[in-house]
Formats: sequence, C-alpha cells, structure tokens
Amino acid sequence: MPVIELRGVRFGYGAVPVLDGADLALERGEFAVLAGANGSGKSTLLRVCVGLLRPDAGTVLLLGGDPRDPAIRRRVGYAPQGLRVATSLPVSVTEVVVAGLVPTRGLLRRVDRRDRAAVTAALRSVGLADLSAECLFELSGGQQQRAILARALVGERDVLLLDEPTTGIDQQLRPQLAAELRRRADAGAAVIVVSHDPDDFHDVCDRILVIDRGIVRQVTHEEFHTHLELGGGR
Amino acid sequence: MSRLLAEFVIRAYVAGAVVGATAPVIGSFLVQRRLALIGDGIGHLAFAGVALGVVLGVAPLWGALLVAAAGGMLLEGMRTRGRLAGDLSLAIMFYAGIALGSVLLSAAGRFDASALGVLFGSILTATWSDVAAIGVLCGAVLGVALLFYEQLLAVALDEETARASGLPVDQLNLLLLGLVALLVAAGMRVVGLLLIAALLVVPVAAGSRLAHSFRGAMLWGVAFGVGSVLAGLVIAVAEGELAPGGTIVLASVGGFVLASLAGRRAARRHPRRVAP
Repeated sequence: MPVIELRGVRFGYGAVPVLDGADLALERGEFAVLAGANGSGKSTLLRVCVGLLRPDAGTVLLLGGDPRDPAIRRRVGYAPQGLRVATSLPVSVTEVVVAGLVPTRGLLRRVDRRDRAAVTAALRSVGLADLSAECLFELSGGQQQRAILARALVGERDVLLLDEPTTGIDQQLRPQLAAELRRRADAGAAVIVVSHDPDDFHDVCDRILVIDRGIVRQVTHEEFHTHLELGGGR
Repeated sequence: MSRLLAEFVIRAYVAGAVVGATAPVIGSFLVQRRLALIGDGIGHLAFAGVALGVVLGVAPLWGALLVAAAGGMLLEGMRTRGRLAGDLSLAIMFYAGIALGSVLLSAAGRFDASALGVLFGSILTATWSDVAAIGVLCGAVLGVALLFYEQLLAVALDEETARASGLPVDQLNLLLLGLVALLVAAGMRVVGLLLIAALLVVPVAAGSRLAHSFRGAMLWGVAFGVGSVLAGLVIAVAEGELAPGGTIVLASVGGFVLASLAGRRAARRHPRRVAP
C-alpha cells in the first residue's frame, strides 16, 4: 500500500491551477526527488501532502489516512522552504530541534533523556552537534538550514517531506545529508525531497519526479537533464 | 526607610514581584509570535469588564477576567481569519474597550478616582486578600504555562510547521490567550490595565538582549520583571507622590536600556561563533 498517495489532485491559488490532476504513489522505503520550474507547484504539492492545503478536487492519502489527522501528522517530518522560525527572540539550535520532537510525544510528557539523545542524534546527522547551544540567528544561512532539517529528522518518522533542504548548504556537506536521507529510507521511511538540483541526490534516490503543467511525471536522470535543456526545469 | 518596610509596602512588594515574575513568562510567547499588542488589547477590553462588574455588582476582578477571556478569544478568532492585519481591528477594539468602560462607569456614577486606579494600578492599597488572589491567579498561569512550555514554544517558533507536525495549534493559541487574560486580571491592581502589557513585553525585550536562547530570554525577563517592580515601588514609595504603576514601567524601560548596552558590550568582548 502506498504511504503517500495522490489521485487526480487539483489545487489552485484563485483561478490559476497549480496542480491539475496530479497523481503520485510512494511506497515505504522509497526516496523520491521532486523537481520542476519555479512556480510549478513543488512546494504546493508538499503542503497538500501534509494537509496544510486542501485540494479543490482529488484524493490525498498519507499513511493510508487523512493528512490532517494529528495522529498521522505526528509520524511525518516536514521541513518547509527557507527559515520560517520567528526571529523576535533568540532561539537555540537545540530548542528548534526539540520543537520537532514535541508533537511526537504525549501532550504533557516532558522531554527526557531519551528525547535528548534523539535531538543529539538528529543534530549529529546534519553535522551540527557542536553548535547545539548556539543561537540560531547567529549562525550562517547553511547552518540555519541544517537546524531546520534536523527538526524534521528528529525521532523516528514514517514519512519525510523536505522542501529544498540543501539550499545554502555547502557542497561538501550535501553528500552527508543525502546519505542520511537514504539511510532513513532504507530504515522504512518514504522520503520526498523538493530540489532544484536532483544531482545532489542522484546517487541515493530511487525516483526523480518532475511537476510540469500541474502533473507529476517520473523521469530518468538523463530525461531530467534533457528537460532542463528544453527550459522546463530550475 | 521605615516607610519602605511598612506593611502596606510589603504587601505591594509581594504582589508586584509575583506579577513581575509571571508576566514575562507569558510575554515571551507573545513577543516571539509578534503578538505583543494583544496583551494591550486584552487590557483595554478588561476595563469594560471592570465597569460591567461595577454595574452588575460583581467584583471588578471577575468582570475583568470574563471580558478579557472573551476578548482574547475574539482577537484570536480575528487573527486566525486574517482580520487582524494592519492592527486596524485591534486598534478599534482598544478604543471600544476603554470607551465602553468609561461610559458604563459614568452611567453608574462611579467614574471617579477608583477608575484611575484600575487604569494605572493601585498596588499600595492592596489587602492581603488581594495579594492572595493575585498569587492564586499567577500561580495558575505559571503552572499551566510551564506544563505546556514545549508545546507553546513549538507553536511560537513556527505555527505552520507545528500544525503540520500534529500539534493542536488552535487550542494552544486559545490557551495562551486565556493565560494572558488571567494575567491581565491579576496585574490590574499592580500597574493597571493600561500598563500591564508593558510588563508582558519590556522585561522580555530586555532579556532578549542578554540571552542566546528562548529559555534564557524568558529567565532574564523574569529577573528584569521582578527587578523592575521592586525598583519602581521603592522609587514611588521613597518619593511619596509618584504613581507606582508608572515608576514600575519606567524602571522596566530603564532595564531594557541597560540590557541593550550590556548586550552590545558583551557581543564586542565575546563574539559568538559564526560559520564561514
């Protein structure tokens, strides 16, 4: 049974359709990269998958159920595009990552030693363990992005939906992050990564998906590059 | 000196310190979410509640609490529906609350010095039973805030991601505004309804200049909150003619200025690690 399933999904902002009959099925353990031109609907598709946007038509099933069901959402790691953390007060890197863990536990359960270990593991997986006590806003853009990624990765997740997770991150660190996502998929998670640059994940992903005119298509790496040359990507 | 240790001043120290310690805890979540003015809005609405209580013969505290809680829910409803943009709706509610309060009090023939006490505080006239009521309200606010600290922080950091992760964001938002309403009712006596929002915001702003984490900003905020209340009270009592609500808030603004200077100095001496 697919873990993420979209059937004939239509969604538009006002009269402009962004998703126009999109279909998608991703099994447990699959790692897909989602590419497409700016404004093609990549982020919209992730937001539909996680229930933040309700489709105008079609069916969305996440882990076999309604993506707005809190019990289902707690099994999903979601990282939106860019730094969305409110910046009014200082926030430590650890506090950001703990915020990702909080929904997965009971409402009144305090963070315990096991949770701390999970936070440390998530920070280590993105190479940020030695900066855990630092203020997020005093770090570089790439380090901030890695903290946001750690928030989505912390704990055990059945689904990972990550929007441009490598933006601003140094080229030499990207293989480490790609390998971590592969490891999560091998452990049974379904992973979708929105990326302008599927080359970052070429060696580790199972599928490359392209959104074009509101429809999701699976392409080979070669087809993707042909797609780019024809002006359909980035 | 003996005046500074008189029993009515001791009562004021205790009540003020309790509110000064509690307000920044709640204020931290509001400031982080750029909702600092919500506290002001609820304070203004609570004035109508006090007046309603006077007209109906109910204790002003209960009138303030009920209207502040209802106003908080209304403001949250407007915020989530996107009708609070541009602060226009919030401003209209400010004016409506104060205007309704003044009309009701004057209609009841009670628009006198006691109204000034509600607006600007009357902490030096607090009785031990007032202090107990303030302690119970603030204790409840602190207990609930600490119980839901991690959840409230997750929502304050990024509401959309918190929602996508399965947190009951709408309920947590209502809980936060409920806590603000309780705090406004508790702080009414200390600095008044027009100034209580200052204790929610200014000590936290001061704390943010010295801290590198949310928890640090909150704890510094608590220290500044208690310090401001005690310093403001000492100044008002020692001078004899000054309004304590005003001196407390001015002391907190002074604390903010000092914290800003200290924060800059510390940043120059010990620059934080920033990646290449």
